[in-house]
Amino acid sequence: MATDDSNAAGFGEVSRVRGIAFEYLSLGASVAGLVALGVLLVYVAIDAFDLANASPEWLLTYFLTLVVPFLLFCLYSAGDPAVTRRVAGVLGGGLVVVAAAFAAIEAFVVTIPRLSWQLAYLFVVVAPTTAYLAYVGSRGRVGAVGFGLLGRLVGGVAIGLAVGTLFLVFDELVWFLAYTLGVLPAAALYAYGSRRAANRAVTAAIPVGLVGLVAAVFLRGVVGTYPSDLIIYLWTLAVPIAAVGAFLVDARGSRVGAAVVGGVPLALATAGGFLAGSVGLPGPTTLIVIALTGVPTAVYVHRVIDGGDGVVGLGLPLLIGGGVLVGALVVEAWGVPAPDPWLDPGYVTEAPSRTAAEAGLYPAIVGSVIIIALVAVLSFVLGVGTSVFLEEYTAGSGVVGSLTRLLQINIANLAAIPSVVYGLLGLGLFANLLGFGYGTAVTASLTLSLLILPITIISAQEAIRSVPDDLRRGSDAMGATRWQTTKNVVLPEAFPGILTGTILALGRAIGETAPLIMIGAATTVFSAPTSLFSRFSAMPMQIYAWAGFPQADFRYGVVAAGVITLLIILVGMNGTAILLRNRAERGN
Amino acid sequence: MSNTSSNTTGDESLITTDVETGSNGRTASSERTAVAARDLNVFYGDEQAIDDVSIEIPEKRVTALIGPSGCGKSTFLRCINRMNDMIEVCRVEGDVEFGGKNVYDPDVDPVALRRKIGMVFQKPNPFPKSIRDNVAYGLKIQGFDGDVDERVEESLKGAALWDEVKDQLDSSGLDLSGGQQQRLCIARAIAPDPEVILMDEPTSALDPVAASKIEDLIDDLAEEYTVIIVTHNMQQAARISDRTAVFLTGGRLVEYDDTAKIFEDPEEQRVEDYITGKFG
Ligand SMILES: Nc1ncnc2c1ncn2[C@@H]1O[C@H](COP(=O)(O)OP(=O)(O)OP(=O)(O)O)[C@@H](O)[C@H]1O
Ligand SMILES: [Mg+2]
Repeated sequence: MATDDSNAAGFGEVSRVRGIAFEYLSLGASVAGLVALGVLLVYVAIDAFDLANASPEWLLTYFLTLVVPFLLFCLYSAGDPAVTRRVAGVLGGGLVVVAAAFAAIEAFVVTIPRLSWQLAYLFVVVAPTTAYLAYVGSRGRVGAVGFGLLGRLVGGVAIGLAVGTLFLVFDELVWFLAYTLGVLPAAALYAYGSRRAANRAVTAAIPVGLVGLVAAVFLRGVVGTYPSDLIIYLWTLAVPIAAVGAFLVDARGSRVGAAVVGGVPLALATAGGFLAGSVGLPGPTTLIVIALTGVPTAVYVHRVIDGGDGVVGLGLPLLIGGGVLVGALVVEAWGVPAPDPWLDPGYVTEAPSRTAAEAGLYPAIVGSVIIIALVAVLSFVLGVGTSVFLEEYTAGSGVVGSLTRLLQINIANLAAIPSVVYGLLGLGLFANLLGFGYGTAVTASLTLSLLILPITIISAQEAIRSVPDDLRRGSDAMGATRWQTTKNVVLPEAFPGILTGTILALGRAIGETAPLIMIGAATTVFSAPTSLFSRFSAMPMQIYAWAGFPQADFRYGVVAAGVITLLIILVGMNGTAILLRNRAERGN
Repeated sequence: MSNTSSNTTGDESLITTDVETGSNGRTASSERTAVAARDLNVFYGDEQAIDDVSIEIPEKRVTALIGPSGCGKSTFLRCINRMNDMIEVCRVEGDVEFGGKNVYDPDVDPVALRRKIGMVFQKPNPFPKSIRDNVAYGLKIQGFDGDVDERVEESLKGAALWDEVKDQLDSSGLDLSGGQQQRLCIARAIAPDPEVILMDEPTSALDPVAASKIEDLIDDLAEEYTVIIVTHNMQQAARISDRTAVFLTGGRLVEYDDTAKIFEDPEEQRVEDYITGKFG
């Protein structure tokens, strides 16, 4: 009836006030939370690296030798004048704004503790800009190559160190036998079988491997003489890694390249392993680190050079290494005061001490790494197993169906139980009843695995459920058994999602203290655990203990360094898992 | 056969197609039976989806199943390779014979049965794997001991896809176009060399060009395989099939005969109405 009127007045107005209010309120809330966290991390970082005592000259030196070249590298990779202009504007404008704001606050409001305007500029402007540019740069070919190489270097070192750490508690002699008798024959059979399309060889691989593993455990006590540790590591780890690298390059059709990619890192690792002892480094760990870093790096470099695209990017690690070196030389020559960080090599390689200056986190780091490795394996295996069973195998009706539903509801409830209760369960079940001991790595790992199991199961179920039914039906119609469909179609499809859930759950496990206190884990131990049943500590426990010390140096510097170490390990772990996941997704 | 009516109609062709019906010239009588149903009834809970169907489907011929939506064509197809077992509320009574054996006998392993019967679905559903792995999937799960690469090539040639993908066997099956994906699914189905291929509206998600490629392909497949195809496209049924079974609502098979006969001179008025689009 009123069509003419409303047309005359446009279409009228519909109120959006509530939506807009909601939008800004939620935005405000999240920004406030992030800013609070950011400020905390800034102060923790300042304490851990003693940045409050860094002279402006020191900051300027490293800004010029390290940050600026890195930014230029990213800009070069992005190759976009608009980005360059924007970044120059932000860096320049930010300098003025931050300096002015800082001065104004200091003059009129309060003095800001342990922060200079240079540091504020660094954290507020330079750090976010660098992160943004790293992201933009990594999308260019040159940047992608640079970061790919850097990632392999850092990742190789990290994984190498983790493997070396695990061998502190696992018996390398059993591993030697298991590898020689089980893993190697099984892998050889499998490789032969898939090359020649001989299915029987492939099928035989698993039983052969299992028999070898069992034999290894039995023969451990029987066999009397073993090669030295170094030879064992060389034979069971470095040689196979080099072989895989060489194989990958060979598959790309380069014989010479394969020999170089496999041989050079292997030779370096061997040399490093044998020479490490003379400079006081553990030989076997050095060997693994060099092998695990060298081979992937060599494979990657070969691929990039072979492709011929973005080769310049390979210079990024040199740029960064050179920047640090030049910075150190300049600071040395200039004689400006440098900060004395709490988080230094001594901190991560030495035991706790009565004095703050000598305090180290090494035993706790080892404890945490071992626990996390065990928890990751346990919760992944159990979580995936349970979720596959719940999603793919159980019937929807009948007694089994009702039982499944009951189980399902309880798993959801278990996820909501406070972690202290899990601690109590671990204490009663694993420490007392099963006799795994108070505060041992086994008890802790089992307890933490139970704690995160519900989260792993639920997220894995979600991932499995999101695999389209079309694919399952397609596989079933080919005459696949339920197991074959699960293994070949469902799990590969669900893998990225499963991994995401496991990452989140592990992040929770690594930071838990309450259950560890309940099972009697020590807050401080002075030597790294030597077996799964020795007393151990974990990083959050040690940090918590230090936070209660009367000396301010402990409560600020040492604790801050611990927090940063914990965060670095966590981010590293998650980063690795995310890379793995992205690979799996791209593999599709 | 259940065409019992005496209602005859004129002898003019009911639909016009460019291709003459039964174009492949395979004679549609006096062959061996590949699949037969006897007094087949299928229920979903209380609802009956197939009502007392008996049919004999000849070997190495294309048999089309047509009928309005919801009349039980897909259900019937799924009875042949026992994919209905996956549906919990589904209950099957009567016999489905394949190779002279009732597939619903207790000693029949449905998984083993499905290895002899390939299936192609309405929506292309290649696995998120490489083209090679997609085609080799059936070989892999069946523990095939021969030359996999050779079989992959043969199957892709058989599915008229080889020339388009031979240089990209390692790229993902999902990177192909819809029509190529469907041919990949056909290659996947024929790779383990089944005896029967079931197709449930294999071209309904494709454009006419891709669909006609698949139609040509089905024609070739019938040289070696028994093809049973569900389609909503009358012209398609007329073009490619030797025999046509018409299902009508309620899951009843109302007429089953040579395709030419069904399209030119059906016994039943209802079938004629359905084919000419008067209902359904
Ligand atoms: N999974 C199922 N659960 C319950 N009922 C079903 C199921 N699948 C099919 N039905 C019922 O069975 C009857 C036949 O379905 P069917 O899918 O076989 O028909 P159709 O002839 O293939 O139809 P269309 O041409 O639409 O694909 C329908 O009434 C449908 O509601
Ligand atoms: Mg259907």
